[in-house]
Amino acid sequence: MLKNYFKIAWRNLKKDKSLFFLNSSGLAIGIASCLMISLYVWDELSYEQSFDNADRLARVVLRGNVNGEELKEAMVAAPVAKSFKADFSQVKNATRLSMVYNPQVQYKNTSYEELKAAYVDPNFFELFHLNFLKGNPKTALENINSIVLSASEAKKYFGTENPIGKRIQFQDIEEALEVTAVLEDLPQNTHLQFDVFIPMQHNTRSTSNSWVTSGFATYLELQPETDLAQLEAQIPALLEKYIGDQVKQAIGISYEEFQQNNKLGLFLQPLTDIHLYSDFSPNTELSPTGDIKYVYIFSAIALFMLLIACVNFMNLATATATKRSREVGIRKVLGSAKKQLITQFLTESILTTTFATLLAIGIMALLLPAFNTLAGKELALLDFISVQNILLLIVFILGISLFAGAYPAFVLSGFKPLAAITSKVSRSGRTTSLRSGMVIFQFVISASLILATIVVYNQMQFIQHKKLGYEKGQVIVLRDAYKMGSERVNAYKEELLQNPGIASISRSAFVPAGETDNHLRGIFKNNTYLRKFFFYDVDEQYIPTLGLELIEGRNFSTELKNESDKVILNEQAAKILGLGENPIGATFERAADAENERLTVIGIIKDFHFKSLHSEIDPLVLAYNPYGGLIVKTKNADVAGILDFAEEKWATFNPEQAFIYSFLEDSFEETYRKEEKMGVILSIFTMLTIFVACLGLFGLITFATEQRFKEIGIRKVLGASVTEIVALLAKDFIKLVAIAFLIAFPIGYYLMQKWLQDFAYRVDLELGQFVLAACITLFIAMATISFKSIKAALQNPTQSLKTE
Amino acid sequence: MLLQLNHIYKWVKQGGKRVFLLNDISLQVEEGEFISIMGPSGSGKSTLLNVIGMLDEFQEGEYNFLNESVHTLKEKHRSKLYKEYIGFVFQAYHLIDELTVYENIETPLLYKNIKSSERKALVADMLDRFNIVGKKDLFPSQLSGGQQQLVGIARALIAKPKLILADEPTGNLNSKQGEEIMQLFKELNQEGVTIIQATHSEANAEYGNRIIHLLDGSKTKA
Repeated sequence: MLKNYFKIAWRNLKKDKSLFFLNSSGLAIGIASCLMISLYVWDELSYEQSFDNADRLARVVLRGNVNGEELKEAMVAAPVAKSFKADFSQVKNATRLSMVYNPQVQYKNTSYEELKAAYVDPNFFELFHLNFLKGNPKTALENINSIVLSASEAKKYFGTENPIGKRIQFQDIEEALEVTAVLEDLPQNTHLQFDVFIPMQHNTRSTSNSWVTSGFATYLELQPETDLAQLEAQIPALLEKYIGDQVKQAIGISYEEFQQNNKLGLFLQPLTDIHLYSDFSPNTELSPTGDIKYVYIFSAIALFMLLIACVNFMNLATATATKRSREVGIRKVLGSAKKQLITQFLTESILTTTFATLLAIGIMALLLPAFNTLAGKELALLDFISVQNILLLIVFILGISLFAGAYPAFVLSGFKPLAAITSKVSRSGRTTSLRSGMVIFQFVISASLILATIVVYNQMQFIQHKKLGYEKGQVIVLRDAYKMGSERVNAYKEELLQNPGIASISRSAFVPAGETDNHLRGIFKNNTYLRKFFFYDVDEQYIPTLGLELIEGRNFSTELKNESDKVILNEQAAKILGLGENPIGATFERAADAENERLTVIGIIKDFHFKSLHSEIDPLVLAYNPYGGLIVKTKNADVAGILDFAEEKWATFNPEQAFIYSFLEDSFEETYRKEEKMGVILSIFTMLTIFVACLGLFGLITFATEQRFKEIGIRKVLGASVTEIVALLAKDFIKLVAIAFLIAFPIGYYLMQKWLQDFAYRVDLELGQFVLAACITLFIAMATISFKSIKAALQNPTQSLKTE
Repeated sequence: MLLQLNHIYKWVKQGGKRVFLLNDISLQVEEGEFISIMGPSGSGKSTLLNVIGMLDEFQEGEYNFLNESVHTLKEKHRSKLYKEYIGFVFQAYHLIDELTVYENIETPLLYKNIKSSERKALVADMLDRFNIVGKKDLFPSQLSGGQQQLVGIARALIAKPKLILADEPTGNLNSKQGEEIMQLFKELNQEGVTIIQATHSEANAEYGNRIIHLLDGSKTKA
């Protein structure tokens, strides 16, 4: 009997190849998208799960608001770990990690750069159970002159030799470090992306007692069953105990007074929340974080794609019911029970789904590399092959078959035998309205996605064309030039200026997009602490090179000595300082190690977006202090030639270092890569969703025209034109699409409004976007419908009337 | 006695008025009978056959089949009953297009949960008997009308029914093919199968040993 079910199912699928194609390709696209996104979501959710004690690890973070300046930092001060462990019984262990900036390693006269290294406390590996291939995790970093490497890093230096006991020179640490342990490479899905670990003692700031400066990622291992919220509640008391004095010393008010006007505190973040639930300033994070919002968005898209594909299946199956009704009737007369017919139809849906799933896996294998590039992942299909996942896939196939196949199976098997044989089961009201409902559902999703794509596109366009207040075009950043040493940089700069294609060169480590130094300093006015301001250390060429607009006062000048206590403010800074009508010559103080420095305002520049458009423009101070690399503004000339020239000169000054450059414009675009990628992914899945929805619509219109074949013939004999008949057929469907808009647009409005909240500078949702989305949806639906209905309308009427 | 109809009424409402499809039909059928039901189009022949075959319902009256009162049975029992004892032959053959001759004949056995080896034997016998062994792998569309009806009858007989209901079995056939089919019915009847057929044709009706005339849903004297 089972064999019989499969045989019949197979023949039925073969017989109606176009239906089978519509069904299985729609399903395959739905399943492929769904599985692909599932891999992505799976990966995003798996962060830090490789640590067996992940649920007991937490990170200490800092949040606060000081005089209107919002602080969100994932790194905290050096003594935090020590104090938490000493004061809280719930804290079993605490450890710190801080990054090594621009690390360099030397082994046997070869130097290595571009490695990822961290200072860690010796107990680091007691909290983070990494896989040690060689060496003992407990003692690996006990000795100050030890170093722990990942397997691939060790291979880089020593090849196949045993790394243990080898000595390498690490940056400016005088004594060579001895390799004491080798780790298995850290998994992709952790925020700890390091290959080299050296003892924390080498970081001179690690023994500091200051609670004001930060820079240490701090992790706690908690006792089992510790309530995070309860522990968090005890933190303020600890803070007052330790930093009360320091606050008083630094800003002259008691901790209590300080907390009255400000909020500043330490909080705990579960380790597993780091990847998806972090909103800390990126320069305090160890590696770029994901965003739970995107996990939700993509999960929703995956689910919808699958739903749409299933709905298609149901729709087509019930629509073709009339075709199958005679068979159902005969089978019932021959003695088939309802159950047997249901099994028969479900077998067909299982076959279709299985075929679609196999097809989907094929599609995935083909498209995964492209998807990886887009999503910035390294997902591999092979990694997911396991007994468990194959079982899961089988359950998935059965689930989809049941979900998509159950309704048609019940409808079809419910036909009365006599009526079924004589084909009296025409379009019964119930299935028609359900079918309409399903078409509406599909177009609600399609129209919402189209709307979302338009809004994302508009916002990206807005960002591209937003007046930033600086010129990002034709600016080359030679950030690494600082490595050749100050004097040589200046000489190099003079050489470059000989080239007529170069307009100006500024020396500064600060750029508004891409990798940049960051400098925040406390600001006092009349010796009262105000808040922190951003500082840009620049030279006199900075304003012209970046095309900033000086609206008052003067630029720095090399002719006047003593510029180091002069500053230029942006409008925002002037406003916060309350400088009013005559800001030039005003003074304020900046926090310094010993005594506060007094600074004099010599100019005001127009606000420019020195950070991404996600945030409002912060107060900024330009101070005269040339250091760092070079920023080169070229004329409208041959940029490639200038780069060749710059590289050639570079080699004469600094042969050891590679010539590394970046375009400011590229870096700017990099800032919005996440949104741009999301835009691309969104548009791809939008297209796929629409495609699948149209497959369904195409199927439905096919059967609608078949059903009305005779009616079309009669109408034509009575004198109906082709357009009238197309309109007749299209009307029903267009009505459904219109209803879909009414549902889709409020939903789309709400969701896109939320998405746009992420940008401090954003487009408004306008009627035009909705109209455009409606037009596109209607156009696509119309095109799908016309294709079939025009053909039907052009048919010779005698043919359709002859059939009975 | 095989079956008995007592005062069967069947009607549909049209514009608030009852239109009778069957009007006070009483009928008793003994095992081994061959009954022809005659009458013009719309006289209720098919409806009567469908009621006897338990495919259609009626509003009033009693129907007993092998001492079971059909009118009180649940759908499930009813279908069990006709699955067991009744075979249908249709004017338009109603073979399943997707199945071969062999499979069409086999289908009723599948629904009676008969074992595969036994099914094979039964179907082989039937193919033999109707001389269609050579056509067993063909699909209905590859057969002539007469051949299709042969398959239809073979399918009706496979489950060894007591009663065959044939609704205009020769209606779509030419006279020669029709005659062959009627001859076959006669032979079957002689083997003991009860047959009730609906027909237009006087000549075909004569094959039966009893003729019932219907007009507008009522029995009339011949």
